[in-house]
Amino acid sequence: MKQGELRRALMVVTVLCIFLFIYLYWQQSTKITPTLVYNYKHTYSSYKKSHPPQWTWECINQRCERRSIKGDVGAVSLATCSMLCGSTQLWPQPTGPVTLGSRAVTFNHKQLQLESIVSPPAKALLEKAYTSFNENIVSLIEKKDYIKEKTDLKRFLIRVTIVHSDIVRLKTSTDEGYSIALKPIGNEIIANITAQTYFGARHGLETLSQLIWWDDYANGGMLKVLKGATVQDSPVFSYRGLMIDTSRNFMSIESLKKVMVGMSANKLNVFHWHVTDSQSFPLIVPSVPQLAKTGAYSSGMTYAPEEVKALVEFARLRGIRVVMEVDTPAHAGNGWTWGPQEGLGELAVCVNERPWSMYCGEPPCGQLNPENPNVYDVLEKLYKDLLDLSSENEIFHIGGDEVNLECWAQHLQKTNTLYNYTDLHDLWGEFTMKALNRLYIANGNKKIPYIIVWSSKLSKRPYLTKYLDKSNIVVQSWGASQWPDTPDLIADGYKVLISHVDAWYLDCGFGRWRETGDATCDPYRPWQTVYNHRPWQQLHLNKKQIFGGEAALWSEQVDESSLDARLWPRAAAFAERVWSDPQLDTTTYSIQEDVYTRLNTHRDRLVSRGLGAEALWPSWCAQNPGMCL
Amino acid sequence: MNGHIIVFISVAFTYCTTINGWAWQCNAENGYCTRILSPSVDEPEHPSLAVCKLLCGQPSYLNVWPYPTGKIASEKNLVMVDPQHITFELDGSTTTKNFLQEVVDYFQENLSRDNSNCICQDYYPLVVSLDALSDDLSLTLDTDEFYSLKLNTSDKRIRVEIVGNTIFGVRHGIETLLQLLVPYQNADSACLATLKNVQVTDKPVYRHRALLLDSARNFLSVNTIKKNINAMAASKLNVLHWHVTDSQSFPLELPSLPNMTKCGAYDKDRIYSPKDIEELVTYAKIRGVRILLEIDGPSHVGNGWQWGNEAGLGNLTVCTNQQPWRSFCIQPPCGQLNPANPNIYKVLGQLYGDISNMFPNIGMFHMGGDEVFIPCWNSSKEILDYIKGKPTTEETFLDLWGEFQNKSLRAYDAAVGNDKTSIVVWTSHLTDPNVIQKYLPKERYIIQTWVPDTNQDLITSLLNLGYKIIISTKDKWYLDHGFWGSTLYYNWRTVYNNKMYSQYHKSILGGEVCMWGELVDDSNVESRVWPRAAAAAERLWTNPSTTAGAAEGRFFSHRERLISRGLKTEAVVPQWCVQNEGECSSYL
Repeated sequence: MKQGELRRALMVVTVLCIFLFIYLYWQQSTKITPTLVYNYKHTYSSYKKSHPPQWTWECINQRCERRSIKGDVGAVSLATCSMLCGSTQLWPQPTGPVTLGSRAVTFNHKQLQLESIVSPPAKALLEKAYTSFNENIVSLIEKKDYIKEKTDLKRFLIRVTIVHSDIVRLKTSTDEGYSIALKPIGNEIIANITAQTYFGARHGLETLSQLIWWDDYANGGMLKVLKGATVQDSPVFSYRGLMIDTSRNFMSIESLKKVMVGMSANKLNVFHWHVTDSQSFPLIVPSVPQLAKTGAYSSGMTYAPEEVKALVEFARLRGIRVVMEVDTPAHAGNGWTWGPQEGLGELAVCVNERPWSMYCGEPPCGQLNPENPNVYDVLEKLYKDLLDLSSENEIFHIGGDEVNLECWAQHLQKTNTLYNYTDLHDLWGEFTMKALNRLYIANGNKKIPYIIVWSSKLSKRPYLTKYLDKSNIVVQSWGASQWPDTPDLIADGYKVLISHVDAWYLDCGFGRWRETGDATCDPYRPWQTVYNHRPWQQLHLNKKQIFGGEAALWSEQVDESSLDARLWPRAAAFAERVWSDPQLDTTTYSIQEDVYTRLNTHRDRLVSRGLGAEALWPSWCAQNPGMCL
Repeated sequence: MNGHIIVFISVAFTYCTTINGWAWQCNAENGYCTRILSPSVDEPEHPSLAVCKLLCGQPSYLNVWPYPTGKIASEKNLVMVDPQHITFELDGSTTTKNFLQEVVDYFQENLSRDNSNCICQDYYPLVVSLDALSDDLSLTLDTDEFYSLKLNTSDKRIRVEIVGNTIFGVRHGIETLLQLLVPYQNADSACLATLKNVQVTDKPVYRHRALLLDSARNFLSVNTIKKNINAMAASKLNVLHWHVTDSQSFPLELPSLPNMTKCGAYDKDRIYSPKDIEELVTYAKIRGVRILLEIDGPSHVGNGWQWGNEAGLGNLTVCTNQQPWRSFCIQPPCGQLNPANPNIYKVLGQLYGDISNMFPNIGMFHMGGDEVFIPCWNSSKEILDYIKGKPTTEETFLDLWGEFQNKSLRAYDAAVGNDKTSIVVWTSHLTDPNVIQKYLPKERYIIQTWVPDTNQDLITSLLNLGYKIIISTKDKWYLDHGFWGSTLYYNWRTVYNNKMYSQYHKSILGGEVCMWGELVDDSNVESRVWPRAAAAAERLWTNPSTTAGAAEGRFFSHRERLISRGLKTEAVVPQWCVQNEGECSSYL
């Protein structure tokens, strides 16, 4: 940059800053404006020092072997060796045919160029997806001035074709498939990505980004891409979810954006947001602001409607839909205490009641009051806002788990209405029917195609068929895989979303967090356990009735300090299970070397994208593939 | 312009006007702080939990971690402090003053994190006088860490006097003072609040209060190590046991043995240079932490030692990276030093020489000495030739190992020029009470026990034989457990409840929590270690007769404190339990 340019740039920045300050000064009396950018900004730790290479890798029998460098010619970095040696280094593994070239070429990110053969409205989305693709590539760069180096290419053209440009909302029926054909023409690389929808195209861009790597041996550091590749790919399951609980402990919007960055790198497509629970109500619901006002941990630990909408948009660009869950009638307490002051009566009962072990599964207790008609009015307003905030009306989650009938019985005794019920499960069933009716009204008197409820006593016979309509109810089965729940639901003709606690609960394994009681869900599920869970095979389930899979992270013992490490790379192992559904050997449960190698590469990829993913093993094992198995 | 800058600025602007929806009330009966909604003007409520916790409880109680062991008295009324109006009076020699100035800088650095540009009103100026009775700047096992702290408010002035027998005691006093200064914000003012009068005397029960970090399985950046040292300082841990090498890698650059990192580092970015070491040693010392370096041997060695043949020194190690690894070691990659090759002692001598130049003399050095895998030595022709004539029994190999240990010790003493250093080794076959005296004289060796809690017999036997020990209860203080094999995770309660073998037994020097590095690196080591290591810190500093339940609220405060100092520590309960003290603790 010349000196004059710098001065001009500084002037522009200064003027911008002054405007910004005036704007902010003017804004400060109202509310902090959430300014979410669509593109996640990666923070780089620092560029590495430039050192001559120390090791070289040689591909022998489809495995990279580490050797000391003798002399200084022809050293091959581990990244380059891995890309060119047998395994694909793609995660999740594509389901269709893949052919990869055995040569690589160098380029720099400025040579990347998008040509979109796409009409509006998908065109605008694709351009944003391309921007985040670009950021992913930039995140690989470890040397700032590498751009000065000569490259093999003049241009790296990415040509994207989308057949149905009108599809810009993800549905369960959306075709997420794509194909990539990457080939050299003269001193250019052309990567053709073809997809039926935008959502397939963005997956294609993700896969393409995984065919690109940083080679710190090439001219002191260069980007590389395979010289040729073809990939055809589409997912096995259309619902590939990840649940995050933001009620037990709050997670900032920024930390949730990072979750989505990770999800998009793994082609997970449903962010199930368990936004509230009995502990706290951090969601500001525009038509019922009292909920957050009396339920949030602090004014800083809330989600404003604009923030939620921006997050939903952030997710959509990454091929992710947001399903918001305000769990009821149980798991609701703090946030629901304002009824009496406003003349609505008790909206919730047993809130913060002691001894808690009598009235709920963990402190603090709280359940909605099924007898109070005002509860349903509030629910209708709440549902309307949730539908609006998430722009999601194909799938809705109403919670519905772990109702403690003792809590209600105690309350009904107080109001002398206990005699109305011989079986309080009917009260629960009626609550659910009423709530579902309000949801129907909130959705403009339109049926929501898939309404998810957690598995519970209500999702068992005889209540199941009495209260839950199999035409649009999906049961999220969270019990252990040996429990009869899942096969029973399938036998009764229900669609099931699988979240088995013994494999896909990522919060387990940290002991009891209370002074007394059990550590009910120990031990920890290592990534191998997550990966090796294939219930449709293990339990012989009809795959057609399996709505999808979801990994869940409850947040009693995690907040944003360790969120990344708790999720990754285990949620990535889950992602490959539901995207590719690889074969499973149920006699040995052994995992192929290739999976270790690819997952290790992918873990490093997540780290380069700014996620604090857990280490899989000592680095020595990464540098010596196959030697630690 | 990007969005992050905008968010940052707006936070700064709205800082003073942030109104929290909750207030806290002190329950005089049980000393708990209770959360209440919509504070009314008449009630004695506090705008933050931290302020409530500062004030709540008996005058003889302080919300400090680890809990002081001496006398405590206080007057539980608030006075306001403006961070801009704190001054220090330093006493002692120039070197003492220079050191204390560094501690003051540390104090200021940690104080400023929670405060914005908001103006504090109605404050009293605070003067802190620091006085170290001795000018001794060395930090060893014998360093006296006692301090007394007196905080007195009169005539609209606050005066704090911290006196220690050494600067390291004074430093602990500063740490306690930091914990007694909590942010106090309301609509138009942001101050620090503290108590009107405080008196504390304090010193640790154990002299060796350590965290082990392993930078060989996975490399840890200098920055990551520093962050851990910061958290140690906040919790008054005083030894960083640095397991710097293992069979996987050798990241420590040695000026006279450049081949070690050349053959052993993962790459040239993952190396600790002598300059890094110098920086870390100083950084740690200011925080009252000494670095106990471990170069493990004869096992847990491999990558880094492969250059012997090329340099004409023969095989320095055997079985390095040998496959199938299960036949030659318990964890890949394999490798053990080659005791048949006399050159290894020359190399070890150079290694020890470099280390004693790079690290200050703390009177201790760790030689590892664990998990020798006899089938490895038994598979080497060279070693079998060396022991020729003797039967290949376990006893023969133990003798060989003992011989190695003895020669290593001599090499060490020769390198440092005296025989005063205490050598720490892990428990192993060699420390079996039946044979230990044959190999490891008690005058020279400290034994670090890593047996499970059930194996108290070993500890008893070693103590009876007169050995000094450091305790690292494997099934309570191994922080890597719970993520591999059939091991279980030990949460902070289990860590805290690890009662030390026998209180005040003079031969128990202390204990260590161990963070083995197979499954952690820069990404997650902080949250794996913290706040659990802080639970061990109180066990070692205070060794209370009570269990975790009694420390809960104070521990939660300390976790929040570590977060406010920028450390990514794991959450241990729902925030609701933090905000509603005592409500999650039991069934009732």
